[in-house]
Amino acid sequence: MAAMGGGGPDHLFNLRNQFYLGAYQTAINNSEIPNLSPEDAVERDCLVFRSYIALGSYQLVISEIDESAATSLQAVKLLAMYLSSPANKQSTISSLREWLADSTIGNNATLRLVAGIVFMHEEDYSEALKHTHAGGTMDLHALNVQIFIKMHRSDYAEKQLGVMQQYDEDHTLTQLATAWFNLAVGGSKIQEAYLIFQDFCEKYPMTCLILNGKAVCCMQMGNFDEAESLLLEALNKDAKDPETLANLVVCSLHVSKSSSRYLSQLKLSHPEHVLVKRVSSAEDNFERAVQSVA
Amino acid sequence: MLTKFETKSNRVKGLTFHPKRPWILASLHSGVIQLWDYRMGTLIDRFDEHEGPVRGVHFHNSQPLFVSGGDDYKIKVWNHKTHRCLFTLLGHLDYIRTVQFHHENPWIVSASDDQTIRIWNWQSRTCISVLTGHNHYVMCASFHPKEDLVVSASLDQTVRVWDIGSLKKKTVSPADDLMRFTQMNSDLFGGVDAIVKYVLEGHDRGVNWASFHPTLPLIVSGADDRQVKLWRMNETKAWEVDTLRGHMNNVSSVMFHAKQDIIVSNSEDKSIRVWDATKRTGIQTFRREHDRFWILAVHPEINLLAAGHDNGMIVFKLERERPAFALSGNSLFYTKDRFLRYYDCSTQKDSQVIPIRRPGTPSLNQSPRTLSHSSYSSTEDAVLICSDLDGGSYELYIIPKDSVGRSDVVQDAKRGTGGSAVFIARNRFAVLEKSTNQVLVKNLKNELVKKSSLPIPTDAIFSAGSGNLLCRSEDKVVIFDHQQRLVLGELQTPFVRYVVWSNDKESVALLSKHTIIIASKKLVLQCTLHETIRVKSGAWDDNGVFIYTTLNHIKYCLPNGDSGIIRTLDVPIYITKVSGNTIFCLDRDGKNRAITINATEYIFKLALLRKRYDHVMGMIKNSQLCGQAMIAYLQQKGFPEVALHFVEDERVRFNLALESGNISVAVASATEINEKEQWYRLGVEALRQGNAGIVEFAYQQTKNFERLSFLYLITGKLDKLSKLMKIAEVKNNVMGQFHNALYLGDVKERVKILENAGHLPLAYITASVHGLKDVAERLATELGDNVPTLPEGKTPSLLMPPSPVICGGDWPLLRVMKGIFEGGLESAARGGAVDDEEEDVGGDWGDALDMVDVDGMENRDIEAILEEAEEENDEGGWEELDGLDLPPELDTPKASANARSSVFVTPTQGMPVSHIWSQKSSLAAEQAAAGSFDTAMRLLNRQLGIKNFAPLKSMFIDLFSGSHSYLRAFSSSPVVSLAIERGWSESSSPNIRGPPALVYDFSQQEEKLKSGYKATTSGKLTEALRIFLSILHTIPLVVVESRSEVDEVKELVTIVKEYVLGLKMELKRRETKDDPVRQQELAAYFTHCNLQLPHLRLALFSAMGVCYKSKNLATAYTFAKRLLETNPMESQAKTARQIVQAAERNMTDATELNYDFRNPFVICGSTYVPIYRGQKDVSCPYCTARFVPSQEGNICGVCELAVIGADASGLVCSPSQVR
Repeated sequence: MAAMGGGGPDHLFNLRNQFYLGAYQTAINNSEIPNLSPEDAVERDCLVFRSYIALGSYQLVISEIDESAATSLQAVKLLAMYLSSPANKQSTISSLREWLADSTIGNNATLRLVAGIVFMHEEDYSEALKHTHAGGTMDLHALNVQIFIKMHRSDYAEKQLGVMQQYDEDHTLTQLATAWFNLAVGGSKIQEAYLIFQDFCEKYPMTCLILNGKAVCCMQMGNFDEAESLLLEALNKDAKDPETLANLVVCSLHVSKSSSRYLSQLKLSHPEHVLVKRVSSAEDNFERAVQSVA
Repeated sequence: MLTKFETKSNRVKGLTFHPKRPWILASLHSGVIQLWDYRMGTLIDRFDEHEGPVRGVHFHNSQPLFVSGGDDYKIKVWNHKTHRCLFTLLGHLDYIRTVQFHHENPWIVSASDDQTIRIWNWQSRTCISVLTGHNHYVMCASFHPKEDLVVSASLDQTVRVWDIGSLKKKTVSPADDLMRFTQMNSDLFGGVDAIVKYVLEGHDRGVNWASFHPTLPLIVSGADDRQVKLWRMNETKAWEVDTLRGHMNNVSSVMFHAKQDIIVSNSEDKSIRVWDATKRTGIQTFRREHDRFWILAVHPEINLLAAGHDNGMIVFKLERERPAFALSGNSLFYTKDRFLRYYDCSTQKDSQVIPIRRPGTPSLNQSPRTLSHSSYSSTEDAVLICSDLDGGSYELYIIPKDSVGRSDVVQDAKRGTGGSAVFIARNRFAVLEKSTNQVLVKNLKNELVKKSSLPIPTDAIFSAGSGNLLCRSEDKVVIFDHQQRLVLGELQTPFVRYVVWSNDKESVALLSKHTIIIASKKLVLQCTLHETIRVKSGAWDDNGVFIYTTLNHIKYCLPNGDSGIIRTLDVPIYITKVSGNTIFCLDRDGKNRAITINATEYIFKLALLRKRYDHVMGMIKNSQLCGQAMIAYLQQKGFPEVALHFVEDERVRFNLALESGNISVAVASATEINEKEQWYRLGVEALRQGNAGIVEFAYQQTKNFERLSFLYLITGKLDKLSKLMKIAEVKNNVMGQFHNALYLGDVKERVKILENAGHLPLAYITASVHGLKDVAERLATELGDNVPTLPEGKTPSLLMPPSPVICGGDWPLLRVMKGIFEGGLESAARGGAVDDEEEDVGGDWGDALDMVDVDGMENRDIEAILEEAEEENDEGGWEELDGLDLPPELDTPKASANARSSVFVTPTQGMPVSHIWSQKSSLAAEQAAAGSFDTAMRLLNRQLGIKNFAPLKSMFIDLFSGSHSYLRAFSSSPVVSLAIERGWSESSSPNIRGPPALVYDFSQQEEKLKSGYKATTSGKLTEALRIFLSILHTIPLVVVESRSEVDEVKELVTIVKEYVLGLKMELKRRETKDDPVRQQELAAYFTHCNLQLPHLRLALFSAMGVCYKSKNLATAYTFAKRLLETNPMESQAKTARQIVQAAERNMTDATELNYDFRNPFVICGSTYVPIYRGQKDVSCPYCTARFVPSQEGNICGVCELAVIGADASGLVCSPSQVR
């Protein structure tokens, strides 16, 4: 991360923003940047491979990164392996733990970031925080914000956010994390979150992530009609985006439209999605409740 | 001081502004009077008839006259139009110091070293009064702008005010003048028409100048004692008010400013000083190195001053007049006087927003210079005002959007110093720190967020879209992305003063003093325009045309750099926005104006440029675009075919047609003109295109037989060729005949021609070579000895012209650039229409969407109000939960990575919102949304006795899945679920949880009720039953806010219950076809359900029919009667009346029914039997349906949910019931 103020041109600025804002394909397409320093080149590769992971191209990442690649890239590969198949999870976690224990590489920011993400998926927040809480990069701080939000500890999230704001208030991740936090605490803050996404809309090309962000804000403000149109726009961009589908299900319910088609689509393409799990658990829950009340 | 114009010349002793035109007269020590246009900076004329210095000069305020007076004792009156001295007034006996016209009388006042002041009538050209009294040189004398007064200053150290009231009275008629003159001579030294009113004594040395205040009874004077004195007078006396000290040498001239409360003086100490007339303190001093100042002039109308010195003169103004403004969309913020104002271009509404800070010290040019605006949030605007105060500073104001016009209090603005400050994002602005050449990025709290070094030495920054800055240095501008720290574009420019971005932010106009540069957003140069006079302002129109103003024109600039004048201007304006034909601008008084312009010309040129030929054609057809300039433009730009459409003159038409290759038009024009020259040119063009027919026509017209025959040869029109040959024969054109014969290959003819022409040897040779033996012999005999010898050893061959490839018709025509255009012509009307239509549709859509938005807003507002009312009571309750089991705050240690695991303690997990919901709520729907299905069910069981939950399953799941939205936060990490809360409003406090948003609400149920009614009416009973049942099943999970709504919900339950019961019976009736008695009974009971009137009629009608068919006439009669009472439709009524008639004849029933309509009853919801009043019954705790006692403990047959006769506390569907 470039220091505040001085320094030369920040060549990776656009690439980073595209990645954070979910324009993964654009990030991949525009990754040919000349005159990068070796560190920048590694960061660039990390961003590109993380973009591939976000697009679900796990195998590509696994096969592209070989043994000789930098630690950061190895960490990214580990993430791809973790996400690629449920069967690999345990072995991936154990090698992750091994690497984290290695004092030579254990402190690598990307490795810690991957650890944070993996343990978050495992819902082992304290293990995740063990590796990420110290921060050091914007990514790590942003992840911390998200972990604390997931733990419903907005007080801690706010503190992390404060650190980010102190560091670079205008950083895209700071802005994003502010929006997450605002959404998590709700109330009047939602409008600020909405404005943040609105700013992104004006500054950068629309992505599913931005549109979903806006739509979520709208839903939180009770404006389901606008949310629906935003989500349909997002669906146009990517018909398989899980969040778009999930939010469309929710939104359709609120505007009294049929949600079943979106739900089936989501079930087909992302059987592991939270909403799918919620619905199936709700069905069991209902039967159990009927039993208990009877 | 802002110098507008400067001349170099001999010493300038007299100056006068033209009251209307941008002219100034300067009289010089050399005797020359110069007339300058200070706007264009040109010398218009010079008048050189005085001998010696000319000290006084003055323009007449309406006539094309000026007066001058010099050291040759002469006063000359000139006509500057005719460039002539009209006449000379003689009388003064020494140098003349000043001359001045009277503002309405035909008078001139002059002051002279002969110690007198004289008043002249320039019509009768006589001196009408001599004012004596000064006993030294009179340095200056002038009329009062309104009253009958003259003020004079003299080296006798006094200032005198003269009353010329009686002079005015005596000169009512000009005829008096002659008489007056003789009289005047008689009382030359006892002047009664002009008497000294006051003598102002106070200066210690000779007084050089005295002048009146334009409106107030004030006089200001300047003297060799280096002082400026201010005097006041009333009807009876005049006295000294104050002395302004500061000049270091003789004060030459001093005046009141025409518009501001300011005194301006200049002096031989080489300075001009500006004084505050009220506080009587010096405000500012302007010094020149070497030039002593001699004279000062104030423009009577506009904010301009002029000063003459040893080596020329300067025209200047004291303060910038350009109001600071910023436009976004239709909103214009600008400053006027001490206020920030707001102007809405769409409504043209102008309002005052807030007062802004008054500079602490009175000094000039400290008013706001630039303004930058950001629509910070939906409720607030932020405005940055920059001025030169304290060497460059800015003030930041946050303005609530609805406060327009309300506040009178000066906000405590956030301030800072900096060269310039502009917004670079919604809530960020950049401030230029010149000393370090950095920009400071600040937030709206005026806190520093970030610093960036600038790539070039920058003296001003302008906004350049989000996150970017346009940095200006002396000779270039760059666009700098302060986040990436990259220079995105760079352009060499003259010193840029203003930057105007196009509406789409794709293009930028950089305005310098005399140059406009249009560039792309990456600063790629698109075009450069030079103006001879100053460029003032500009704005982009929606089509990408840049509209700008110079001092005296509104002009346009097309994207390709073509420019032109739209209209002229009397006074400079500052364009703020261009919208269609309307230009919004601010004038120098800070007033908003909307000027309508004729945009046709530039729109037309733009359409040409963009090759929008359909638009071009449309405009040609519909507008009065014409004139040589337009034709020349079109020709020059390579559009002769377009120009063609404008031209009437046939010659021009012909030329244009040829140029554009439009042969048919050219033929028509050529026929009109019918001159050889035109036909010839037509022929050449037609030939070029290969249009042989036209070529032939053209040649025929000009009788150009040689060409014509050659044309026939190559087009193979041999018959015509032989005709031509005959014509040639008739015309005795031997050569032509021979040519044609040769082309035709007609040897005999050739021989004949040669023979006839007397070329016998040639004829012979021709004949013999071609084997015409007999002819050859005949010729040989004629020739006798002179028979030429034929060359030996050569085989002769017949010379025949080659046959043309294509005979007749035209050759393949050269492709003329017709295609697009002709097409354009034809489709112009059509295409235009389609376009319009499309646009209209677009508009409609836009409108429709807007309306939807408005509706949404309203709904939300109402909800918000309701919710707020609730919130107040609620907050306490929710907040208790906040503190629940949060552990003491732990500092997140920023330890080194090695130590990280040892120190950090993971906080315990907080409470999910859904837990808060389930802990808090006693409403089943909210519990279901929170996922606590068992609690929800227990509540429903307790409140409504519901036991059968199966029909509620999908609703529970929908409520639960609709309670959270999903946010993808960090890439590849698990999504975040966010609880959606109900009743959000802008003022909701964060961290205080509202109840869950539910997917079911009461209005939906009302909608369903309507569709249920509709289905019933149209006889879709199964469908209707399904709808009504779904209402009954949803209501337990509906939440409303107010008590009154609770009652509505309960009412809805009973309405729907009646329908469900009725419809179930009706459906049952239809099943039991084989039991007519039961059928009749069910039909009869149905009529006793509480139905809407139309439905009741239907029930009655069917019951009537069923009973009539079964010969139960008496019962049918009662239904018919009841039906008639409801005013049914005629068809129903007719049947009913027939039945009534039939029944009246035979009032009996064939079968007995369990139905006594006289005895009130309710119907059992399961067994469908009447329960008459007084009989025992049990009811459903939810839907209130009644049952015979034997049904107790069963599930209700109507709502299918609750247990009949179960204990229940009643429907709870609103938080207002729970409190």
